Amino acid sequence: MTESNGFEPKIIGFFCNWCSYAGADKAGGMQQAYPPNVQVIRVMCSGRVDPQFILSALVKGADGVIVLACHPGDCHYKEGNCRALQRHRLLLLMLEQLGIEKERCRLDYVSAGEGEKFNRVIHEMVAAVRTLGPLMPLPEHDSHTIRSDAPMSSVAAP
Amino acid sequence: MKIGIYFCNCGSNIADKISSAAVIEAARSFPDQPFVNILDFICSEDGRLRFEESLKSEQPDRVVVAACSPRDHEATFRRCMTAAGMNPYLLQMVNIREQVAWVTEDPQVATDKAIRAIRGAVGRVRLQQPLERKQLEVCPDALVIGAGPAGMKAALSLAEAGRSVVLVERTPFIGGLPVRFEELFPALECAPCMLEPLMGDLLHGDCAGRIELMTMAELVEVTGFYGNFIAKIRQKPRQVSLHDCIGCGECAAACPATTMNGFNSSASERKAIDFAFAGVLPNAPFLLEGVCVRSKGEDCRACKDACPMGADVINLEEVETVVERRIGSIILATGAGLYDAAHVPGMGLGSLPDVYDALQFERMLSSTGPTSGEIMTANGSAPASVAIIHCVGSLDEDHNPYCSGICCQYAFKFNHLISAKLPDTIITHYHRELTVPGKEAHTLFQQAVQNTNTCLKRYERITDLAVSLADDGRLQVSAHGELEPADLVILCPAVIPAAGADSLSALLDVSRDSSGFFRELHGRLDAAQSTIKGVYLAGACQGPMDIQKAMLAGMASVGHTLAGLQPGRIIEIEPITAEVDETRCAGCRLCISVCPYHAITFDTEQNRSRVNAVLCHGCGTCVTACPAGAINGHHFTNAQIMAEIEGVLK
Repeated sequence: MTESNGFEPKIIGFFCNWCSYAGADKAGGMQQAYPPNVQVIRVMCSGRVDPQFILSALVKGADGVIVLACHPGDCHYKEGNCRALQRHRLLLLMLEQLGIEKERCRLDYVSAGEGEKFNRVIHEMVAAVRTLGPLMPLPEHDSHTIRSDAPMSSVAAP
Repeated sequence: MKIGIYFCNCGSNIADKISSAAVIEAARSFPDQPFVNILDFICSEDGRLRFEESLKSEQPDRVVVAACSPRDHEATFRRCMTAAGMNPYLLQMVNIREQVAWVTEDPQVATDKAIRAIRGAVGRVRLQQPLERKQLEVCPDALVIGAGPAGMKAALSLAEAGRSVVLVERTPFIGGLPVRFEELFPALECAPCMLEPLMGDLLHGDCAGRIELMTMAELVEVTGFYGNFIAKIRQKPRQVSLHDCIGCGECAAACPATTMNGFNSSASERKAIDFAFAGVLPNAPFLLEGVCVRSKGEDCRACKDACPMGADVINLEEVETVVERRIGSIILATGAGLYDAAHVPGMGLGSLPDVYDALQFERMLSSTGPTSGEIMTANGSAPASVAIIHCVGSLDEDHNPYCSGICCQYAFKFNHLISAKLPDTIITHYHRELTVPGKEAHTLFQQAVQNTNTCLKRYERITDLAVSLADDGRLQVSAHGELEPADLVILCPAVIPAAGADSLSALLDVSRDSSGFFRELHGRLDAAQSTIKGVYLAGACQGPMDIQKAMLAGMASVGHTLAGLQPGRIIEIEPITAEVDETRCAGCRLCISVCPYHAITFDTEQNRSRVNAVLCHGCGTCVTACPAGAINGHHFTNAQIMAEIEGVLK
């Protein structure tokens, strides 16, 4: 691994099926390496990314979360990416209150053709979280407040 | 639960970077201790066969395929699952080629990343449920709105394919805008002659029996969804039976009431009962109720008494009706109109005599128009000079930002037609840009350029131009301060959506773009589809276009209808949709406000939201928005995604 301090951040990436997941595939086709720290969860639309998925990922050991969406105006489902942006902005406010740096949670836009941008965004995200260091583990009781089978009340407006 | 992991080496693509042995070793600690089967090229014919055989012999409850991107072969492997007797939705793919092997330098690191991803997939697949594609009977018939070039082409082609079509037209006649023109660019073909065979086939051809033409009609309500719409159509009274009228015009001759004829740009008179213009199809007059003296209390029966076909042809008591039709798809072909050039200061339209917009001038050119095709000024003389102003209200942020793309072509057609009739007339084109694209448009353009009585002048902003009356009473055009006389001024305004697009948009929930045209599902890939499934777009209602493109667009919309809805065929609905758990729904309706497809309705009696699986595209936005967690996003449930997160982080 590349950095001397030995810290390898664990990052969850939520990629929408139509643009950013395809952009990741495009980056793959270009066969240019990028840091391996992002584990990908494919969703059909960035509008499906519940802020509680992100909180849950942080509780379960992720040091950062990146949500990649279609560019504004290009959403396969018309406006799911706008919903994602609304939720993201509110989530950042909440993370700030929890003392979690906003750089740990990034929303960006990658189109199906933007293999190079995808590569760059992943480099930037991993570098940013590496600089921040590990996310201090949240107290154990917090993790019990989010159950995978519980109703997911959204922290965000629609 | 028995889980099978099928690991594809993809030749050396994956095998070079990811150790299958390490995956086998790691799988021992995965939940349910899945078996691992290493294969080469699972997507190949041989690979698929071995995959299927293994599925049959091992009979796993759930399957993970670690291979290429699901965007490549998820459908392939789902078909293998089906072939092996398994539900295809019990498969989860892990993309260890594009997103791991090809982008990770160190094999150890790549193997580690792949194992995490596979562990996430195993955690997820355990919670995946068999899903069934719902089947739905559909109605193959179509509703076409608008009987211009695009709508007529669509209706006739559908009828030729054996479909029943309801063709709804707002005006009393078919043929749209061009049927009102005399000659068309680029080849100066006679418009009514060109449209005649099409209109004839539509009214009387072999397939006409399958086309229910409703003129003077409009859509008032649509319920249902793709494959099963119910449309309510308002039929306004024509007061003349299309079935029995022979189009002799005796009624019009006898009618005592007159008014200006809107279909002749109000440049000529008509009777209360009259034809829209000569030669119109269907060949029958219609009554303008407000103009008829009966509306003023007189008991006039002059038209009815004059009718040689009997007392039943004209029905002065006829009232508006609303009819209901079941159809599977809707084609919007409502066409275009012209931007009102009166909104553009300095052009003089409506305030100065002898200033016409292009539609008014087309009628002047037409042999069925107010001057029977003579080009003349209001005082009846031939104009010695004509100004043609292009780009009126287009390419202009204050009016319409786009170029309409057809105006220059008809402007040079005007040039040709004016020159042919009045060879000594001086014609000046004032243009901001010139757009003469394609393989045919240049001919008329070159003719104009080579015409010694023609002058082309470029202006920068429309505010640099002003049409005014000179002291001698003649019109003049001032361009950048320079004055030129013009006995006749023709304006070429931006092409805009026809009136009524806004109400149709509201009625059908189809989106419009910032210029008011119906928005295509995708401007290039799906330009014949609207944003609502089963509602297609054809012609100038989706953007300015010429007749050729409108006809092609009509055919494109037919293609969607024929491909999607076939008689007797059942459509299958993708099961990756949202579903409301009615026991948990609190009735807040947040889901309805976020659904981009209007797929969720509210049951006011039960106080519950309900998702229509036919309309749902499976984006999951509502699933996330629901504050009660009452919406289940099939195949992307909260529990499945949470299990995957947990798996990859472990």
